[in-house]
Amino acid sequence: MNYKVILNILSFLIILSGLLMTAGIPFSIYYGHNDIVSILISAGITIGAGLILWFFTRDADRTQLGKREGYLIVTLSYLAITFFGTLPFIIYGGIPSFTDAFFETMSGITTTGATILTDIEALPYGLLFWRSLTQWLGGMGIIVLSLTLLPLLGIGGMQLFSAEVPGVTKDKLHPRVKETAKRLWGIYLILTAAQVILLLFGGLNLFEAITHAFTTLATGGFSPKNASTAHYSSIFVQYVFILFMFLAGINFALHYHALHLKFQPFRKNTEFKFYASFIIIAALIVMILHSPHQAFSFEESFRQSLFHVLSIVTTTGYVSSDYENWALFSGKIFFILFFVGGCAGSTGGGIKFGRHYLLLKNGFLELRRLVHPRAVIPVRFNGKAVSPDIISNVQAFFILYMLLIVMGSLALSLLGVDFLTSIGSVASCIGNVGPAINGTGPMSNYAFLPDTAKWILSFLMLVGRLELFTVLVLFTSGFWKK
Amino acid sequence: MRIIIAGMGDVGYQLAKQLSSEAHDIIAIDNDQQRLSYTDSMTDILTINGSSTSIKVLKEAKVEKTDLVVAVTSSEEVNLTTALISKRLGAKRTIARVSNAEYLENENLVGFHQMGIDFMIYPEELAAMEVVRLINRTAATDVIEFENGKISVIGLKLDKSAPVIHQKLIEVAKANPTLDYRIVAIYRNFRTIIPTGNDKFLPNDQIFVATKPEGIESILRLAGKENINFDNIMILGGGKIGRRVAEVLSEKMTVKIIDSDEDKTFELADQLPNTLVIRGDGRDIDLLAQEGIIDVDAFIALTEDAETNLISCLMAKHLGVKKAIALVDKVDYIPLTQTIGLDSLINKKLIAANSISRFIRKRDMVAYASLEGIDAEVIEFIAQSGSDITKRAIKDLDFPKGAIIGGIVRGDESFIATGNSEIKANDRVVVFSLPDAVKKVEKYFR
Repeated sequence: MNYKVILNILSFLIILSGLLMTAGIPFSIYYGHNDIVSILISAGITIGAGLILWFFTRDADRTQLGKREGYLIVTLSYLAITFFGTLPFIIYGGIPSFTDAFFETMSGITTTGATILTDIEALPYGLLFWRSLTQWLGGMGIIVLSLTLLPLLGIGGMQLFSAEVPGVTKDKLHPRVKETAKRLWGIYLILTAAQVILLLFGGLNLFEAITHAFTTLATGGFSPKNASTAHYSSIFVQYVFILFMFLAGINFALHYHALHLKFQPFRKNTEFKFYASFIIIAALIVMILHSPHQAFSFEESFRQSLFHVLSIVTTTGYVSSDYENWALFSGKIFFILFFVGGCAGSTGGGIKFGRHYLLLKNGFLELRRLVHPRAVIPVRFNGKAVSPDIISNVQAFFILYMLLIVMGSLALSLLGVDFLTSIGSVASCIGNVGPAINGTGPMSNYAFLPDTAKWILSFLMLVGRLELFTVLVLFTSGFWKK
Repeated sequence: MRIIIAGMGDVGYQLAKQLSSEAHDIIAIDNDQQRLSYTDSMTDILTINGSSTSIKVLKEAKVEKTDLVVAVTSSEEVNLTTALISKRLGAKRTIARVSNAEYLENENLVGFHQMGIDFMIYPEELAAMEVVRLINRTAATDVIEFENGKISVIGLKLDKSAPVIHQKLIEVAKANPTLDYRIVAIYRNFRTIIPTGNDKFLPNDQIFVATKPEGIESILRLAGKENINFDNIMILGGGKIGRRVAEVLSEKMTVKIIDSDEDKTFELADQLPNTLVIRGDGRDIDLLAQEGIIDVDAFIALTEDAETNLISCLMAKHLGVKKAIALVDKVDYIPLTQTIGLDSLINKKLIAANSISRFIRKRDMVAYASLEGIDAEVIEFIAQSGSDITKRAIKDLDFPKGAIIGGIVRGDESFIATGNSEIKANDRVVVFSLPDAVKKVEKYFR
């Protein structure tokens, strides 16, 4: 393991996050909020720490980057950015407890959107901007961003890229990983800008439009408003959220094709078709189940159902009404949706549609294999047969995912949290969703949980964001052996 | 014509034999001296030992004076290179054997013609299409179509129970006056007979009939056969031919394909979404039974190994499969077909040689097929105006004994030849001929 390179690359990322921390200052100045000094001190500490680290590792040979270093760098950079990202909250005093600040920042960078804040609007705009920005950075990936900005990563770039964006299939948009990263961030920027403009039309001010666009496209779910998106009663604004949550849950490679006016790939993409039809069917089911219990008009009922199904399925986690109390089954249905996730290559978390498709298809095909024991019956995905290696990888992913949920729920229960809340919070956090059920439901927050529970959930958020293997591999003894 | 043949494998050898018997000057180039000596001893040709991509060797073969270079080595790269170099060195036309369907599909995209390759031949595709034709015409042992099926020559084996057994040809014709057909050949005891009206049908005869599409069903009935529609096919061997056959047949039928190679079966399953791919040894009778060989309508063995194909086809026949087709690339085995009771053999090398002959004779012949195993050819000629064939009715022509006119296509019409038929200029005429009569027949059409 080449620690010098790891620390060297880490130092760049720390400096980068220190610089980005200050992005909300113009809003603080404009609105006359008093967090400018705290932010500048935090940024100073972060950049200073980064520079010191860089100074001691400046002679590292950055070409010496293998697969193992890649996993470690990605995991450590998420931890480092979370650590330094807590500084503005702590120094300003908005979130005095380090555990709470860490949970909140981790929830941001992993695009979970679970919050411990009871009164979000009490925070000044500079901090709230940073809170939304962490999600935006984590959405497309801080490593992917650094690949586009920093000229430092040559050969090792691919290792880092695949450790941060694991996915089921690799969609390289360009032979060079740096160019791929640039295109991904380009699409991300274009979509974000589009949503900002539409939200401005919908009557939001620039601050609200930007912060919400950040957290929508990252499928994060942080909102600078206490009532989340329910704060905006405009039907237009809600449909803008619906549209962009839907877009954020799609593989960005497809957006890239769409930008080139090629729509054929959408029709051929198994995962996209599965995603789109699942959303529609789930929304219709939710709508039908809820209609006897709610005094909604048809349009509102449709909009609310679609909004919440998208919000949970894409792992965004916005709420515009209390879905738990819509009907008898509400909580259970949304709990199941925690396990779905976006498409591979999107900013959504969770198990993801590609994996679900492969698991289900493989399960049904196993029945056919019983009839023809010697037959070769592969799962077809995007019109191509999927190799058994990938199927086994997906199965391993699913098992580990479920195992983490079981162990996490047990741990939380042992800490005294009621079981429904435990299992809901764990499933929601590992899936990077945000709101859960029962105690941590859409109308509540995570503030009351014991500190240990918050640390466990923070860990699960990180594991979920990096799609398990990148983090879990660090816990195997073989990883550390020479 | 002066023809260079590069590669004396089975295709090259077969071609050399066919072409030299038609009085072309053949120069054979091959790396393998032993192979050349063998060819030299069997046919009247000039042999040169060396690589066909060597400029020195090609010059030695006087490539600049050559009308045609045929590159049929086992390597696609060598064939393409040979053809390209030969063309630059002055050969008039070139033919290359390829092993990649993509090249044929994208011929114009790449511009092989401009590069100097006049004709590309892909034997696997031709063999696959032959299998498909045989499956679609289930009762026939051979099917040769002319002018998009306006006239076909079909081969049939007569069973003991066939209604026409022990009757003279002329009697059968009288009993069925409305039926339009002509028996062009009978293959009996390893000999091909061009029949007259007084010949009799005997059990186990293989007959070749020229007919129009609407007559096929009645002919089959007379021969005691029925054209059954197949819907359950089992293919052994997932090579290029098997893959292509499965691809075409799976559009209409249930197809199972068996191969023992792990990577290959996965690839097959990827490429053939409508086909059930089974991994296992095709000689394993338990496996075949498990996958329901009993219920299969046709069994097609297309592995690389001729013996495996023959044995597994015999096994399938034994288990009651209606039709068994084997790929047999050993020319020597071909006469065995009828004796051991297989329905059809496919030989991709003969098919390739046929296809090349057809190209070579393109000027006066439109289509051409050499019938495997029975040493005869079916050729389509265009009657030139003023040629001998247009001057008299067929019965007064004194047509060569070893040949017979099967059918005539005039514009959109087609009819089966009788003694009274007269051929007009620009008619397309299907002739069945023994090899030694081909030259004589050609003269009638010039």
